Amino acid sequence: MTSLKLANLSKRFGGVVASENVNIEVPAGKIIGLIGPNGAGKTTIVNMITGMLPVSGGTIQVGDVDITHAPAHEICRSGLARTFQNIRLLGEASVLDNVMIGLHRHETSSTLSALLGLPASGRETAALKIRAMKLLADFDLTEFADYPAGGLSYGHQRKVEMARAVATNPDFILLDEPIAGMNNVESDALAEIFLGFARDGKGVLLIEHNVRFVAKLCSHVYVLDGGRLISEGTPEHVLSDPAVITAYLGGEDA
Amino acid sequence: MSNFFAGYLPLFDLYCIHIGLALSQFIVLRAGVFSLATAAFTGIGAYTAGILAVDFGAHPVLGVICGTLAGMLVATVLSIPLARLRGVYQAIATVAFIQICLSLNIYAEGLTGGALGLNNIPKTVGTGTLVIFAALATYLIWAIERGRIGRAFNTIRQDEAVAASLGISIRKHQMLAFAISGALAGLFGGLEAYHSYAIDPRQFGFHLLITILSYVIFGGRNSVIGPLAGAAFLIILPELARPLAENRMVIYGVMLILVINFMPKGVADTTIDAIKARRLKAKLRKAEAEARS
Repeated sequence: MTSLKLANLSKRFGGVVASENVNIEVPAGKIIGLIGPNGAGKTTIVNMITGMLPVSGGTIQVGDVDITHAPAHEICRSGLARTFQNIRLLGEASVLDNVMIGLHRHETSSTLSALLGLPASGRETAALKIRAMKLLADFDLTEFADYPAGGLSYGHQRKVEMARAVATNPDFILLDEPIAGMNNVESDALAEIFLGFARDGKGVLLIEHNVRFVAKLCSHVYVLDGGRLISEGTPEHVLSDPAVITAYLGGEDA
Repeated sequence: MSNFFAGYLPLFDLYCIHIGLALSQFIVLRAGVFSLATAAFTGIGAYTAGILAVDFGAHPVLGVICGTLAGMLVATVLSIPLARLRGVYQAIATVAFIQICLSLNIYAEGLTGGALGLNNIPKTVGTGTLVIFAALATYLIWAIERGRIGRAFNTIRQDEAVAASLGISIRKHQMLAFAISGALAGLFGGLEAYHSYAIDPRQFGFHLLITILSYVIFGGRNSVIGPLAGAAFLIILPELARPLAENRMVIYGVMLILVINFMPKGVADTTIDAIKARRLKAKLRKAEAEARS
């Protein structure tokens, strides 16, 4: 069974410790939660995994492949996709184009044929369009295909971003605060999608603020505070852990 | 009537050459590189082709090929240090590069003819050749825009973090954009050399940079029609404004300022966007009507 494994992961910005000796394992087919108060270092961890921030110490592995120091675009190719805390779509481009970019990893036509517009390149574009439309259908977005992505509502933009991440056909998905700013109906719809990822055998690392949402979906939860893991286990165990309660609500002397 | 066309033929030749240069500028901007080095690559192509013809009596086909390759090679090498820079810093570095090329050109007087330029280049390129190459260049850029590389360029330009997270190599694609830009500029520089009998260093300096950049800003940066329309408009405009004599460059400036302010995406792109929006609206109305009935 493959898994995404962080071992003793550390990040220091000069003297500031953003994360220290973090050990997290995301097995395939499971939704794993990562929670923590503001500034706990959650996004730092996502950025290290996806190669946006250089790692100061420790290792990151997908299956047997060490991706600790791989450049960002190669990390994607080893089967890792992410969504961003503040949605990052290409606002000018249509919804369809946004999803088609996600399929870039699967494009195989040669550079020369793409340069000269040879038939192989045209066929590939047509095939990708069909695949992208299928993905849009899975996410109930078919009717928006031709609209500029920047003009969609917040909830729909989130879904487009999910569709784009799934288009890369990843083994592991990192979701950075996916339901921030959503109402319950919208977040329930997304929860169904996340459960679908897990059923498909993908490993999901869900980084969230909303403890209730995490408790509902995750089989295993890690709690981060001040860059260190302070607790881990089943949602029930973690939420009754005094250390977690102190981190979220403040200690007796706070 | 034929006299009328003959009078405007040089202008048309200029248009064909400048299409190539505008597309060279267009393709780097599309890939999210703020390079202004097209003027320098053009000069490199023109001088390579010119020197080969004048000093070595090379065949024009060989000269143009060497000019193209020289432009491409220099651009590819230049892309390596520029990969670390972004935005306005890239712009400044490339303007400095143009200045370096200009100075080297003047110092290497024995080879390039220095400030006097290169003269007595045999004229071997006519309007027909220029039209063919302008059409080929337009096709090339259009084909790139439709395929995998165009999609990658678009993503990098709009958001590099997203591009990297989706497995697009930024460095590789920006280097490719530089190579295409350098090849196009070198090619049309070579054609310019074989078309105009003489070239001189000042031709490939700051003025050319501004001219080419204006085509792309004026026309638009998203569709391949942008640089074509921009070049056509800005080349014809001073001719139409000829009765205004010395004031005609004022019109040029005013037009640019108006377009930048009111159509920041450029004339062609604004039009295309408007057409697209209308089509979407029509589709929406049709869907609503169907839903009601």
